Order: sequence, then C-alpha cells, then structure tokens
Amino acid sequence: MANLPAAVVGRLQALALAGRAIAWLRIDDTLALAEAGGDLEAYGLAAVQPGAAASEQAPFLEGLLPLVETPWEMPSVEVSKGRVADLHFWAGDGGPSDGSTGDGDTWVLLLEVTPERNAAQRMQQKAYDMTLAQEREAVLNRRLEEANAALQAAQAELERWNRTLEERVATQLEEIGRISRLKRFLAPALAELIVSSGDESILQSHRRDIAALFCDLRGFTAFSETAEPEEVLELLHNYHATLVPLIQSFEGTLDRFAGDGLMVFFNDPLPCPNPAERAVRLAVGMREAMARLFDDWQRRGHAIGFGVGIAQGFATLGQIGFENRFDYSAIGTVVNTAARLSDIAADGEILVTSRVAGAVSAFTELVDVGLLTIKGLSRPIAVSSVVGLTKVHPVRAALGR
Amino acid sequence: MLGGFSVGKTSLVKRYVESVFSETYLTTVGVKIDKKTVALGDRPVSLILWDLAGEDDLASLRLSYLRGAAGYVLVADGTRPATLEIALSIRKRVEADYGALPFAMLINKYDLQDQWAVSDKEFEELRRDGWWVQPSSARTGEGVEDAFTDLAQRVTR
Repeated sequence: MANLPAAVVGRLQALALAGRAIAWLRIDDTLALAEAGGDLEAYGLAAVQPGAAASEQAPFLEGLLPLVETPWEMPSVEVSKGRVADLHFWAGDGGPSDGSTGDGDTWVLLLEVTPERNAAQRMQQKAYDMTLAQEREAVLNRRLEEANAALQAAQAELERWNRTLEERVATQLEEIGRISRLKRFLAPALAELIVSSGDESILQSHRRDIAALFCDLRGFTAFSETAEPEEVLELLHNYHATLVPLIQSFEGTLDRFAGDGLMVFFNDPLPCPNPAERAVRLAVGMREAMARLFDDWQRRGHAIGFGVGIAQGFATLGQIGFENRFDYSAIGTVVNTAARLSDIAADGEILVTSRVAGAVSAFTELVDVGLLTIKGLSRPIAVSSVVGLTKVHPVRAALGR
Repeated sequence: MLGGFSVGKTSLVKRYVESVFSETYLTTVGVKIDKKTVALGDRPVSLILWDLAGEDDLASLRLSYLRGAAGYVLVADGTRPATLEIALSIRKRVEADYGALPFAMLINKYDLQDQWAVSDKEFEELRRDGWWVQPSSARTGEGVEDAFTDLAQRVTR
C-alpha cells in the first residue's frame, strides 16, 4: 500500500467495506474476552462483556482457541440468522487498543460475506437441484428398465406356457381321437389302457387264435316288413343297448355291428386265457337278456328270436379301412364258421364247434347236434348246442366228482 | 454434521433445535452454527452444532471446520445408496485428520419407505464395528433426539 496515496487507500477501504458488517474481538491468553468492537449487534454479540470467557459469549469460538496456526481463516460462517462472515484469526500483533502489550492475545475479525454467500448458494442450489433431478431420473429409468425386464420375462413365460398348453391340448385331442376310434371295437376301459400305454402296435395286422361269436335275430326280416319303421328302430335300439354293455363287461372285442347282426371275438387285441369260455358265457348271458327283451315283443304278436354261433381258431386281425374310416376286424375260416353257425341256429340256440365244446364242457351242458355241412368248408364239422351253464366247479367236473 | 449434499443435515439440526421441518430444500454454503442446551442427567450441556455444507466431492470438503469438534454426526440418505458410500469415505478422512472422534450415524429419510434402499443387513454390517447407526427422519423426528443425546453423552463422558 506504500506506493498508493492515502486518499486511494481510503477509497479502496470504503469500497471494500461498504455495506458490510464488521466486528472484532480481542481475546487474552486466559481465553477471556479482552475487548470487542465494530458492528457486534449484527452478529448477535451486542451483549458481550470484557473479562468473561470468550467462547461462552461467542459460541462459534468453542474449541477453536488457543490458535493452532496464525493467521487462520474460517470462511463463510453463518454466525447469526442470515448473517454470514469470514472469520479471521491471528495472534496479537498491531497492539491492543487498551494500552496493554497484546502478547498472547488472539484477534478475531468478522468480515461479512452474506451477499457472496447468497450468490454462491443460488448457484449451488441450481447445480444440486439439477444433480438431484438427474439422480431421480436415473432411478426412475432403472425402475422402468426393471419393470420392463420383468414384463418381458413374464411374457416369455406366458408364451412358454401357451406353447406347453397347445402341445398338451394337441396331445390330449389326439388321445381322445385314438380312444374314440378304439372304443368302437373295444371296451372303453381297454381302449383307454391301450392309449395310455402308448403302444398301438397291437392293432397292426397279425394272426392269433381267437374265439369268434356271431349272433343275430330270428324273424327280423319279416318283422321289418310288417312293423312300423319306428317300431323297428325301437327294437334295434333296445337290442343294441342290451347287448353292447354285456359284451363290454366280458371284455369282448366288438367287430361288426350291422343291423341285427353282431360279431364279437375274444383273445384279441388283448389276450385272455380262456376265450372260448368267455364267448360261451357271453352267449348264455345274451340269450337270457334277449329272452326278457323279446317277451314283450312276442306278446305283441311278433315272432322275434335270437341265435348264436361260436367257433375257435386262428384268424388274421388288424385295422381294415383307411384314415378316419377304419375298423378293427378279423378274417379267416373261424369267422365264417361262427357266422354260418349263427345262421343255422334256431331261436334260443347257441351252436358251437367241437373245439369250443371241448373247452367249456367242464361247466357247460351241451347237446351233440351232429356233423353239419358248412358253406365254405370242404368237410362237415361236429357241432354242439349249449343248453346252459352247470353249477359244477370246473375242477370237480374234470375229476368226475 | 457431515455427509453428502441433500441428505438432510440442516433439516436434522432444525428438527433437533427448533422441532420444525420444512419440505423445501435449501443448500448450505460454508457452515451454519446453532446452539442447543440439553440436560444430561442433572447437568446442563451446551451443544454447539456446526452444520457443514454437504460435499459429494471429498476433495472440496473443508475439514478445517472440524477443528475443535468434540464429535460429529454422519448423515446419509436412505433413499440414495451412493450417499452411504460418501458418508463412509468422509468418516475415513475425518479419522485420518482428527483421530477417532465419537460419532453417530443417521440414515435419514426413513419416512420415504417406498424409496428406502438400505437393507437391515447393511445396518447390521455397519453396527458390527460398534458404530452407533440408526435410521432417522427429520420429517417425523424419528431417531433424531436419540442420536444427539447419545452423542452428547459420549462426548461429555
């Protein structure tokens, strides 16, 4: 400042200090307030008293004295509400105003910087507000991305479930189709068994020893000609409704189902140990059921009867037909023989070949019909008629007791 | 009061000293000084609270404000996990410069439950070293009085 005229120095001081509250404190080496001056009121220090502990009168001094370094500055301190000062500390130089030496004293200058602090605060506020907004945006974006990812995962899962569901529906539809096709000629339980096992190879063409049963109505043609069509349909409906459950209960394979004629065979496609016995027992059951059914019709004057033919032997079996239009059927002499025996049988008669008769004789009462010439066979065959089932145990019968 | 910016240091002091809360965020520049006299047992103790400007940039942190401090309150914002890291870094710097001063740690804004991002496990980990750590809310006052009282007891012991 030496090369500046006093007037300039004075002017500079006036400019620098204009509008600023300036206060000062001098604290002695016992940390008591020695003296104070300037605009003390601006900083809430109007009541300070020399002689008392400095930090108790000016709380901001708490812990700062004695000085660790000098000079020392603590900038931008809001000492009282809304009044901000830079605090300048230095060890006692410049001489005390009360005439003491000043050695060991500490000077504190409060130089107001409220306008500068407010300007800095406005700038900082904008910067922090912007930073906070960016942080919030980042958090929102992250949540949005997480929600989006969760949504995509859920969608993928849903698509996977849909595919699975479609596959399962297709599989089940296919199974239902296969079951319904099989149910046309198998007992429902057996059809489901084959489908659930997944093995339909049994339906391929093959040869097997079967017992074939043919049955049809006697006098049906004459009845059809004289009765009303509704009566004919009623008779056929009752006829089928009676026989089909019976066939299924014996686990017979229902082959042909044309008008009043039915063909059933045993031991195929599912094997059974005693096909002839089952066929004969079914035939006896049929005859009893038909007798009850026809009783009413015969009382109405219609001569309706029922006959059965049974033969046993090897046949070729398998699916016959083409897609959506096929049957499971048996072809062979045994089939023709059973059909012919059914044709020959009188009302209430069950005609069986000698092989069948031999298989069931232990528990069946049979009557020898003799040798019959069957169309399609080169030689006559021995035929028996089933009178009924005996109550005798098969083992006892075999032993002759 | 130490911590990153906008974690609620000024609001915590206001809640503690004046029992009020303002929704408006006003950044602190430099330092604000407040005083509160509390009774610890039958002994009145004056707490001079230095509310320092929040700094995320540790290089800008003026640790000279801590000269003469008896203890400090470390504050983080429970809805902004990054401020927890900042608070932990500040604590390391303070300890390097001033040694192991007593401190209390507040994870603030506990009232904003839908945005809360600090797990119980993180609290347990912080407490493992014997730290005094609590969630707080300057809005509701939860945890505030406890933190200052506990710290006051420790610094005057």
